[in-house]
Amino acid sequence: MAAANRRAPPLFWQIALLLVIMAVCVFPFYWMVTTSLKTQVVALNAPPVWFFEPTLENYREALFEDGVLDTLINSLIIAISTTALALALGVPAAFALARFEFRGKKDLWFWFITNRMVSPIVLALPFFLIAKNLGLLDKHITLILIYLTFNLPIVIWIVTDQFRGVPYDLDEAARLEGASQFTIMTRICLPLAMPGVAVSAIFSFIFSWNELMFGLILTRTDAKTAPAMAVSFMEGYNLPYGKIMATSSLIVIPVLIFALLASKQLVRGLTMGAVK
Amino acid sequence: MRDRVSRRTIFAFIGPSIIALALVGIAPLLYAGWTSLHFFNLTKLRRVKFIGLENYGTVLTDPVFWEAMGRTFFLLASALPIQVALGLGIALVLHRPGLTLLKTLTRLSLVLPMATTYAVVGLLGQVMFNQKFGVVNQLLGGADINWIGDSTNAFIMIIFWDVWQWTPFVALVLLAGLSMVPGEIEEAARLESKSWWVVLRYVQLPFLIPGLVAVLILRTADTLKLFDMVFTLTRGGPGSSTEFISLMIQRVGFRAFDQGLASAQAIILLIITIVLAQIYIRVFYKEV
Amino acid sequence: MKLRNILASTALAAGLAMGAVSSAHAWSLKEAAAPYAGTTVDVVFLLRPGYEAIEAMLPAFEEETGIKINIIKHPYENALGEQVRDFVAGGDLDIALIDLVWIGNFAENEWIVPIDKFTTNPDLADPNLDINDFFPLVLNAFGGWNGTVYGLPFDNYSGLLFYNRCMLEEAGFDGPPATWQDLKDVYGPALTKDGKYAYALQSKRNETQSADSFARVIWPFGGSFLDENFRSNLLSAESQAGLQFRQDLMQYMPDGIVAYDHAETVNAFAQGDVAMITEWSAFYSTVVSADTSKVADCVEIAPEPMGPAGRKPALGGFSLAVASQADEDEQAAAWLFIQWATSKANAAEYLERGGVPARQSAYADPALAETYKFIPALVESWQDGVPEFRPRFAEWPEITEIVQEWGTKMMLGEVTTEEGAQILGERMEAVLEEAGYYSGDKPLAQ
Repeated sequence: MAAANRRAPPLFWQIALLLVIMAVCVFPFYWMVTTSLKTQVVALNAPPVWFFEPTLENYREALFEDGVLDTLINSLIIAISTTALALALGVPAAFALARFEFRGKKDLWFWFITNRMVSPIVLALPFFLIAKNLGLLDKHITLILIYLTFNLPIVIWIVTDQFRGVPYDLDEAARLEGASQFTIMTRICLPLAMPGVAVSAIFSFIFSWNELMFGLILTRTDAKTAPAMAVSFMEGYNLPYGKIMATSSLIVIPVLIFALLASKQLVRGLTMGAVK
Repeated sequence: MRDRVSRRTIFAFIGPSIIALALVGIAPLLYAGWTSLHFFNLTKLRRVKFIGLENYGTVLTDPVFWEAMGRTFFLLASALPIQVALGLGIALVLHRPGLTLLKTLTRLSLVLPMATTYAVVGLLGQVMFNQKFGVVNQLLGGADINWIGDSTNAFIMIIFWDVWQWTPFVALVLLAGLSMVPGEIEEAARLESKSWWVVLRYVQLPFLIPGLVAVLILRTADTLKLFDMVFTLTRGGPGSSTEFISLMIQRVGFRAFDQGLASAQAIILLIITIVLAQIYIRVFYKEV
Repeated sequence: MKLRNILASTALAAGLAMGAVSSAHAWSLKEAAAPYAGTTVDVVFLLRPGYEAIEAMLPAFEEETGIKINIIKHPYENALGEQVRDFVAGGDLDIALIDLVWIGNFAENEWIVPIDKFTTNPDLADPNLDINDFFPLVLNAFGGWNGTVYGLPFDNYSGLLFYNRCMLEEAGFDGPPATWQDLKDVYGPALTKDGKYAYALQSKRNETQSADSFARVIWPFGGSFLDENFRSNLLSAESQAGLQFRQDLMQYMPDGIVAYDHAETVNAFAQGDVAMITEWSAFYSTVVSADTSKVADCVEIAPEPMGPAGRKPALGGFSLAVASQADEDEQAAAWLFIQWATSKANAAEYLERGGVPARQSAYADPALAETYKFIPALVESWQDGVPEFRPRFAEWPEITEIVQEWGTKMMLGEVTTEEGAQILGERMEAVLEEAGYYSGDKPLAQ
């Protein structure tokens, strides 16, 4: 059918276009990684150099002297915990929204989703003061909880959708056999809704991993996250570009690999609800 | 048609979520509401006092606040059309048959920008757009463009990164929309009309609408939230030329320490967000 | 608590009883620290040369005292926020790192302890503390507020003119400009060519804009932030002359100077792109080291140029003070560290490792000026300076944000210097009004 369209660009142009798209997507990462392998002198060369003798010194310094390793571990702990918590809370809620009829359901759903829209700065100020009064500053649990404000809506949004796609006859059959709603959810619907659950888990992990503002304001040392760490190299006195890029690579590359492995689900999630 | 389920059961399923979100979402808001009615400066906590709506009055009449708000919507209005145009173009190319391997690779590389930590995008921007040792000027044939220190250029640079990071999202959403078009209808349309535009407009567009709506909602919300990338790239500068609303509130609350005023600003931002979300969701997402 | 008091008084009695013995023994850090061995002291440090210098010296202190110093590093621009949040939250910091413009704020909030508490305690006070050995201006400006001394000067700066002798000679100058006017009218045109610039003034919208850029141009021209009634003085002819001078001078600075922070400015100088900068003494080691500078052999230092109102060099720097939220042991340990880090005995090593001590005795040896070219200019500018170069009162954090915003807008040409000064003045007065300066609730101290 492409042949039927005389305006179709020749194969050559299509290939060229695709290559350009790929290059634009990937080039910044190439530049990030190569810069991270440069010494400060090479990194500050004008015009920039493309070929040089790489060094791993920036990584060694960042990981072991500046404590980036600890912050990566913090980020991992926080992202995994908050994702688990969001699923534990969000999946039953999504089930209820998809399966039960009750008054105010629409408003409730709307309220859940609205949380996804709220700028973190709206919550950061008061949450800081509350955490301060409760002695919860610089604790992992604080970030794990506050990240629920965007993770829970994502889980509820996506999983509600998914549960609605599970045929209702299955519940019916189980219910006739006397299964409780909880059993129906865990035994019947959840296995079928697993793709949606996985998608929302991937999202909430990535969002939590990438979050900066709360990490910046609510932590200091013990619970400092990797993005907050990357920012702290930006002293006005000197800009260790190599080290900043090394830290950036350490933060971004794991999540990119994860995103590539899960790309199918990721794309599915992005487009879920968006295309129907 | 559905089960009659007892209130207790419903609550058992949905209650924990409501409580959790109320604790982390509503309680801080109530507290913000309280601080917004007070003179509340972090470095002057002994002088906290009730001042009624004075902070709101200050915000509503402060041109700096509204300029930041206007700037935020200007960014949305400049970046979103580019993202949609490019995204649609990419989606149409990827939707064509053939070149499967290359297209799979392209789809994979589209995932990368979206997953990138926003703060890192800003750091990358600093490195790549530096006037002297930045690779962007080099790629532009040794241009001597001052990206970070010039108001207009800095804004263009922010648009560039926003487009870089989110065009793939638009492209993938629209691609999914295109794939919903039943093959036989599309084929029939192509036989009938030689113009891709006609096919797009009358056959494919209806399937793209929901995706475009989702893009509009999410990009609006994300632009109002935009903080990390700009914070690490320009910190709102030069001057105020890239000071978007979330950056501005952060500055008032955590650099000038005026939490009372910042809370009032945050609450006004929240109201604007909710009204927009209401409009969007009620208009476009009817079903639950 | 009671038990502790009893123990303390018993110890005191024992101390008095053994008075004869202890006065025979000289005071030693080791003995003074003995009760606090194992105590951890938390302190915020910046990523700057003076901090690296003391960090390198730290093992000796920790070994001798058994006190552990836990350093938390922050960029300057985050350091105030981090510390304010920690103090408000009753956090772990045992030492406050105080930029001179934060002292009024920290003191009024009683986040820091006056040094009296320790200097009057013979167990803790080093007999060689010699507080009068600090440059009086520096001690007063960095560590003192309203007649009370809270902190000891630790990381000390004065603004200096760094110039590239080779570039100046090539253009036919055998010395640096003596006045700002010369810098603009004579040196500016001669040195700005072929992609090189005569001068760069770091002006990024953060504290740099207020301290390094805005304040630097108003004072030498006779201007100031406030008049004697604490009303804005920015519309005065003198302040306006200074601000207008800065606008005119920009033609001899690189483009996008409003995005230049210290790093960019120092780098431009070190790369040989800019002939002169006015920067803090702390950058000396950066511009003379061959690792970081292409012009190391050409660097010379002079005091900042004079304006119609004389030489009013930028004044900045940090003191360390004991935090009142720390418990007694931590306070004692913190004091011992501060006293050690700023001591006369350590000043020479501190200087050698890249720090800048505020001890007069450290600069007594005239031979030092050959190794450290910045010393004569530094000592000169610390003789008399303007402590309120930037007002040091508690309202500075709010006011500096306003200065930063409107100062950069002036430079970008979005407002004229008059319009900008008008708005800036109004907003500044609103903050001061709120604070109670005009109603007489608060003494006019800056």
